[in-house]
Amino acid sequence: MTALALPDKALASAVRDLPDNALASNREAALARFLERGFPTTRLEDWKYTDLSAVADISQRWLENGAPAPSAAAIDERIAEIRSAIDIEWIVVRNGTITGAHDAAAGEGLSISTLSEVAHAPGFDHPLADLNAALLSDGLHIRVAANTTHERPLGLLVVDGADSQPGVAQARIKIELEEGAQAQFVEYHTSIGDSDHYANSVVELSLAAGAVADYVRIQGRDRNHTQTHRTAIQLEASSTVRYSGFDLGGRLIRNDLDIDIAGKEATALVGGLYIADDGQHIDNHIRIDHRVGPARSVQEYRGILAGRCRCVWNGKALVQAGADGTDAEQSNHNLLLSDRAEIDAKPELEIYADEVKCSHGTTVGQLDEAALFYLRSRGLDRQEATRALTRAFGASIVSHSPIAVAAEHLSEVVERRLSRLTDGERA
Amino acid sequence: MLEIKDLKASTGDTPILNGLSLSVKAGEVHAIMGPNGSGKSTLAQVIAGHEDYVVTSGSVVYKGKDLLELDPEERAREGIFLGFQYPVEIPGVNNAYLLKAALNAKRKHHGQEEVDAFEFLKLAKEKMAMLGMDPKFLNRGVNEGFSGGEKKRNEILQMAMLEPELAILDETDSGLDIDALKAVAQGVNALRSPDRAIVLVTHYQRLLDYVEPDVVHVLSGGRILRSGDKSLALELEEKGYDWVREAANA
Repeated sequence: MTALALPDKALASAVRDLPDNALASNREAALARFLERGFPTTRLEDWKYTDLSAVADISQRWLENGAPAPSAAAIDERIAEIRSAIDIEWIVVRNGTITGAHDAAAGEGLSISTLSEVAHAPGFDHPLADLNAALLSDGLHIRVAANTTHERPLGLLVVDGADSQPGVAQARIKIELEEGAQAQFVEYHTSIGDSDHYANSVVELSLAAGAVADYVRIQGRDRNHTQTHRTAIQLEASSTVRYSGFDLGGRLIRNDLDIDIAGKEATALVGGLYIADDGQHIDNHIRIDHRVGPARSVQEYRGILAGRCRCVWNGKALVQAGADGTDAEQSNHNLLLSDRAEIDAKPELEIYADEVKCSHGTTVGQLDEAALFYLRSRGLDRQEATRALTRAFGASIVSHSPIAVAAEHLSEVVERRLSRLTDGERA
Repeated sequence: MLEIKDLKASTGDTPILNGLSLSVKAGEVHAIMGPNGSGKSTLAQVIAGHEDYVVTSGSVVYKGKDLLELDPEERAREGIFLGFQYPVEIPGVNNAYLLKAALNAKRKHHGQEEVDAFEFLKLAKEKMAMLGMDPKFLNRGVNEGFSGGEKKRNEILQMAMLEPELAILDETDSGLDIDALKAVAQGVNALRSPDRAIVLVTHYQRLLDYVEPDVVHVLSGGRILRSGDKSLALELEEKGYDWVREAANA
């Protein structure tokens, strides 16, 4: 029994109450594994700075209430907002349930199914993935056929609500790009409602030889809500993934991005921007496993922190023996707008090969006073000058976001977020 | 327009201005000259409101208002412009954004309607043409990767857009080739009017060949040692600053 366990019986009963489908036996196996290990605790190096007690507490209260399906009245409105902000085909996972005609966007070269339809049992390699597999009613399975290019980005909207009582929801998405396939994805996480909520999601993305994926993840959860999110990307030879993650909301957010470089000449360009203020905790853990070389990975993350908040950035590049010709770069820059904001930034390089080029750079700094005075001497008030400099700090990540249709919306939401944040700083 | 009386200012524990008095009237161009470390830049920064400098005594009255009571942005909106000796590079903040935000902050302060994107662009291109600047500078980060001359022209562009009542140009002439110097001088001369005053802070009299000052002051040890007409600048150039210091000590 670990410190962060959930009540066995209540959890088992919640699992058994899920709709019966091809995933049922897999749920039981996942449940057994989760019950054995529980939530990861801060005693583990990888979880040193992120305490999941709040997540365990929400889950427990949800189970005590009989694990009701969470919801919120305004959820339709939120979905409509996002649909109109980013005009692409969206598949909606609502309160953990795939809704509507999930295969509406399917077409030539693009197949969209549920995991139960294809009888794909989600794997479990981590307690949170186990919990996800145990409580998952169903997931999505997306396949882009060999040598096809899907021009329009596909939207994956994970939306949760918790109006009147604590809610817990799972989402699972598996995406396969076959050889030479090309596609773009916008993964959007949002939530609404005054009660506590815990979302636990897993995305698996595999790129076969020569495939190219552009991927943008936007997390704009309600400030009461928590999320743990695992993304596992597998890259075969000569495949390329361009991935950007934006964390704007949430109370307690933990993202794990694991990239497995399994084929030569693969490229992983990953980046992200996290913006946090009072009461927020945002943790990004990135691990890139260079199993073979030559291959290239770039990690470029930036954080803007205000008020009393804490962010964690841990970027790891692991270069295995024999992965010669690896080129791995990491950078993480943080702008602290308040002396109560805390960042734990840790770049890690673990190298077992001889012929490699690896670099890392991490900075933590405040606004440049000289620049601030320069702008004020031109008539911009402190707040506007702060906002301009803060916006500029995040601009390189926003402008590198690989999907044009999401870029405009991103600029807007980042701008709104920064306005609130710099307004708060003045108060 | 600007009345400085017995101004003392320090940074940290170091006094830099030691009882400086200066009176600038509308329509005048003043040149403040002096050796390195004499307090020229400090004076410029104090007038603009830099928080690193603490005024320990004396007064600065601008258009009848106590200037020292105002924030830097309020001073700017009230018509004060400081041309920086070392313009700050601000990557990611667009030059056009800054110009437009600065112009509109001032217009709003004076109850005028803000300019829209179209009017702004027209005005900016007009001013840039006058200064011989490529319009592509509008879309670059503020001073980002600019050469020394480009930075100084950019300062003059900001000044030309904002049309300040009191412009203080801190060593705007330093490090400029002759073309850039002429462009800067043209920008300054274009601003000259009976309603405006210009203070040129400079180490050399070179700029004064192109912008004729009404009054020349020599600053040393944080005080004005001597004031005169433009011939004082020429005399200084010939005899060096020691001459003034010796004359003052005598």
